[in-house]
Amino acid sequence: MTPMNFPLPNVVPLIPEMFVAVMAMVVLMWDLFLPKERKHWNGYLAIVTCIVAGVLTMNVATAESVSAFYGFFVLDPFAAYAKLLIYAGTALAIIISLDYMKDEFGVGEYYTLMLFGMLGMMLMASAPNFVTMYLGLELMALCTYVLVGFQRDVLRSSEASLKYFILGSLASGILLYGISFLYGVTGSFDFAEVGAGLAHSGSGARFAVLLGLVFVVSGLAFKISMAPFHMWTPDAYEGAPTPVTAYMSVAPKVAGFVILIRVLADALPSLQVEYVTIFTWMAVLTMAVGNLAAIAQRNIKRMLAYSTIGHVGFIILGVIAGNVAGYAGVLVYMTVYLFMNMGIFAVIVLMRRDGIQGELLDDFAGLAKVRPGYALAMGLYLFSLAGIPFLGGFWAKYVVFIAVIEAGHLYLAIIALVFAVVGAFYYLRVVKYIYFDDKRVDFNFVENRLMQATVVVTAIAVVAIGIYPDPVINICKAAVSGII
Amino acid sequence: MVTLSSYLAVAACLFAIGIIGLFLNRKNVIIILMCIELILLAVNINLAAFSYFLQNLDGQIFIFFVLTVAASEVAVGLAILVAFYRNRRSINVDDINTLQG
Repeated sequence: MTPMNFPLPNVVPLIPEMFVAVMAMVVLMWDLFLPKERKHWNGYLAIVTCIVAGVLTMNVATAESVSAFYGFFVLDPFAAYAKLLIYAGTALAIIISLDYMKDEFGVGEYYTLMLFGMLGMMLMASAPNFVTMYLGLELMALCTYVLVGFQRDVLRSSEASLKYFILGSLASGILLYGISFLYGVTGSFDFAEVGAGLAHSGSGARFAVLLGLVFVVSGLAFKISMAPFHMWTPDAYEGAPTPVTAYMSVAPKVAGFVILIRVLADALPSLQVEYVTIFTWMAVLTMAVGNLAAIAQRNIKRMLAYSTIGHVGFIILGVIAGNVAGYAGVLVYMTVYLFMNMGIFAVIVLMRRDGIQGELLDDFAGLAKVRPGYALAMGLYLFSLAGIPFLGGFWAKYVVFIAVIEAGHLYLAIIALVFAVVGAFYYLRVVKYIYFDDKRVDFNFVENRLMQATVVVTAIAVVAIGIYPDPVINICKAAVSGII
Repeated sequence: MVTLSSYLAVAACLFAIGIIGLFLNRKNVIIILMCIELILLAVNINLAAFSYFLQNLDGQIFIFFVLTVAASEVAVGLAILVAFYRNRRSINVDDINTLQG
């Protein structure tokens, strides 16, 4: 009997994934041998993992798209750039966790879960296939459910986790049901083959195709918290430990948008008219829900949850535009959003008070008189989120709005502009609390050099991108030019 | 001869029962877990039926992934439920109400 001859798959594009998987397990094992007072070393190891993974990704990524494992994995500039954002988001969330975790949990599983969640997002970013996409999505989702409920003895945390879990599993089920119909029509799970199959499917299969489209879009819309599938977001954000909220608010959104763009551009291009109609309505609804509901919130984490929903509504305009400029706009927006949001959450965690985080808007009153540095950073982030010109957030909105106008949806840009103005109100209200109100509660700041460095770096990034946005925009354009 | 549409109809019924059960159920979170399982099983029936009628094995392989993930999902779900029960001393759906919204 001759030995079977299998060609060895090309593993080079997967080196960052393999590295992260191994390191996640190393962190888990190392935790057992660390004495209690040095548990935070796990966090440093996890940060180093993110940085090394970034270096590896830069080294293995090439200008053209490389596929591996018989078309179950693809590494192109788009995936590589998204992965860099995911590493940055995860690393910043871990930095924010360092102090929080030392006091409240002190367990290494936390960092392992974060790294496995990151691995899931990396797989999503590189998925050319519904199977890889589903596995990455579930790996990410299962880790996030557990992270949200990480404060096991806090009712809020476990309740948020339970709600997130129920709605998240429902969304996965809906997504799968849609995938099953697309498979039934085309006989394949590969995005490109599904796209080719749908283009040739007859009118007899029309109903199944539309069913598949609607269910897949709903499932993915849940993951990026678009209205009307946003209900989990405020609860999960409020109940989760603050560093986990920071983690959830950026990196999974990047992965979600990347996979959404891949599905729409590769698998569903023949249904562009239909999905643009669906997304137009959902984008308007998302912007309305996010920006109007945020006004009523007193809890800053809940407010930021609605603000995320509002921003997702703006980002989705880039997806509706459906051209290189639009998809590049999504990446630009996510890049800027990463810095703004991580900075805000870093300040929130730094402002902890008697074991409770500075969570209510009232807690921020008078911050400017006590710590002008943090107040200035908060002011910059909030102005940037509101889209005030010559800060990063302005260019993010600008790129997306221009793309959607060029694609012929002027009315959408006008609606978005109106909601951006509404959104500016509640961001500026927080600035008013910080600068013009008197102190209402005693502050008790955490002194942590790494976290203070995070605040400085993110604030500088927001300003730098605001003054000179061209490099970011050009990199994003180069990253997406390969996919369409 | 059972046709493809019969299988799809069964799967659609299971899916609908799962969704309806998820939203109408006001009693017990365990029932919600069952409903989620029902939805995933509906997907599996769909995949198996398509796989058989298309003479294409991909769908059946995907079923194994779905089954595996469903098992881990229930494991995580039950763990979260236990943590919730310890804090709230109840798994009544109406008692999941600390966070408004």
